[in-house]
Order: sequence, then C-alpha cells, then structure tokens
Amino acid sequence: MSSSENLKKIILMGLLSTSVSIMVLGQAAPKLADDEIASVAVVANQSDIDFAKIAKQKSKDQEVLKFAETMAKDHQSVIDQAVALVTKLKVTPKDNDLSRKLTADATATKKKLQAASASSFNKTYIDNEVGYHKAVIAAVEGVLIPQASNPELKQLLENVVPTLKTHLEHAEMIQKTFASK
Amino acid sequence: MRCPGFLIILFVNLLLMGCSGGPSKDTHHPRTLFVSIAQMKFMPAELHVNSGDTVVWENKDIVDHNVVEETSKEWSSGVISKGQAWKMAVTKNAVYFCSIHPAMKGKLVVE
Repeated sequence: MSSSENLKKIILMGLLSTSVSIMVLGQAAPKLADDEIASVAVVANQSDIDFAKIAKQKSKDQEVLKFAETMAKDHQSVIDQAVALVTKLKVTPKDNDLSRKLTADATATKKKLQAASASSFNKTYIDNEVGYHKAVIAAVEGVLIPQASNPELKQLLENVVPTLKTHLEHAEMIQKTFASK
Repeated sequence: MRCPGFLIILFVNLLLMGCSGGPSKDTHHPRTLFVSIAQMKFMPAELHVNSGDTVVWENKDIVDHNVVEETSKEWSSGVISKGQAWKMAVTKNAVYFCSIHPAMKGKLVVE
C-alpha cells in the first residue's frame, strides 16, 4: 500500500470516528423521539443497501458480491420490520438532524464509490463497510436504544445489533484477505 | 403331554432374546434435537448427538440463514428463511457455519 493510500485510510478512519464521537458522546448527542429514531433506522439501513447496489454493479470479486448481496437482503429485512412496527404503532418516521446527516454522508459515500477505479473499488467498498458498521453500531447502542421510549422499538433496535456486529466481522474478514494480497 | 410345547415356546423366546441382544441391553431410538438460530448465533453452538439422531435448525432470527458443513461442504441446507426450519440425520462429527454470515459457526459431536 502506498503512503498516500495509508494517509487516506488514516484520514477516513479519523473522520468516521469523529462523526461517531459527535453522534454518540457528550452534549452533541441529539435527543430523539421515537418517530425520529425510526427515521434514522430506516435511513441507516437504506444507505447500506444503496452502497451494496453500487458494489453489485462495479465489483467482480465473488466474496465482495456475496457480501453485498447479504447486506442488501439483511438491511431490507430490518427495514421491513421497522416499517411493520411503525405501521402497527401508527408512527410516521420523522426527518431530523441525525437522519439528514446520515443521508448527506451516504450521498458523499456513494459518489466516492462510483468514482473509485476498478482496481481500487473492492477495497474502498469494504473499508467503508467496516467504518460504516462501526459508526452505526455506536449510534444504535449509544443513542437510539437508550433514547427509544416504546419497548417494541427498543427491542427491535436491540435485535438489530447482533446482525450489525456480524456484518462488521464479515467485512473485517474480507478486509484481512485484501491486506494479505 | 403339554410340557414339550411349553419348552418349545421357552426355547424360541430365549432364541429371539439372544438375537436381539436381550431385553437388558439399551436399544437406541433416534432422537430429535433442536438448534435455535437467533441473535446471529447457533444455540447451542456445540451439540452432542448419537449417530442417527435428527437435528432440526430453527431460524428464529430477523434475517435468513443457512447451515453448511465447513471442511468439505459435504452437506448444505440451502436458505433457511426467517421462521423456517431444516433438519438432517447426523451420523458423523461436523463443524458447520452459515455461509451467508461466515462468522456464525457451530459444531456437531457424535457420541
């Protein structure tokens, strides 16, 4: 790996951890109602489905394609359950600062993925998946679960955490194979 | 005379008991054992079975899973959708995993 790639990686990880810190720690952590939490949950899952769609268009690596397929299916499954729950609870997901920030970040990430060259795409996608899942896990555990007031919404969020952690582990497994190539 | 008839029945009974190993020996009946798939884990992660027992994997998770023998891909369940189950008679030890989520692993130990 070149020094500029190393530098990019360090900067990327720094930005991600900063964004997680802002979202999760200290007084900057937003106060969210259940309808806003529902919106954040849907946006976070939809963003990863969108990243997976780009991976399915651009990658030719079987492991990456398999991972992207799993991301698309699993996150859609979570969205379906979130939608079923908010429908049952008669809650309409409401846009808020955190969901808007996630949308803006996702737009920037999609641009970066679309712009990545064929030779660098797989690594760019998987590195992003590792960082993204770390950030989302921190947000769900640090903000969404503690602030959810409806017990069924809280339970759904708690049920999603093991899925996110397994996705992170899977992404890290693929990341290691890239490092050893 | 009734005695020879009685002796013949007794002899046949003893012969049958001998062939079947006798009533005191344990006759193994295959059991059905369950592995729950929930929270992205196989529970129990290690299951001890007798050869011929049937193991049922029940997907109680929020996403689809599968069960694949890890070493040589000797057997595979196909997709086990949410709320569905898959079963197999087990005759030998196996380490298995979910190929959709490779971090999920389980083990079958034949006693």
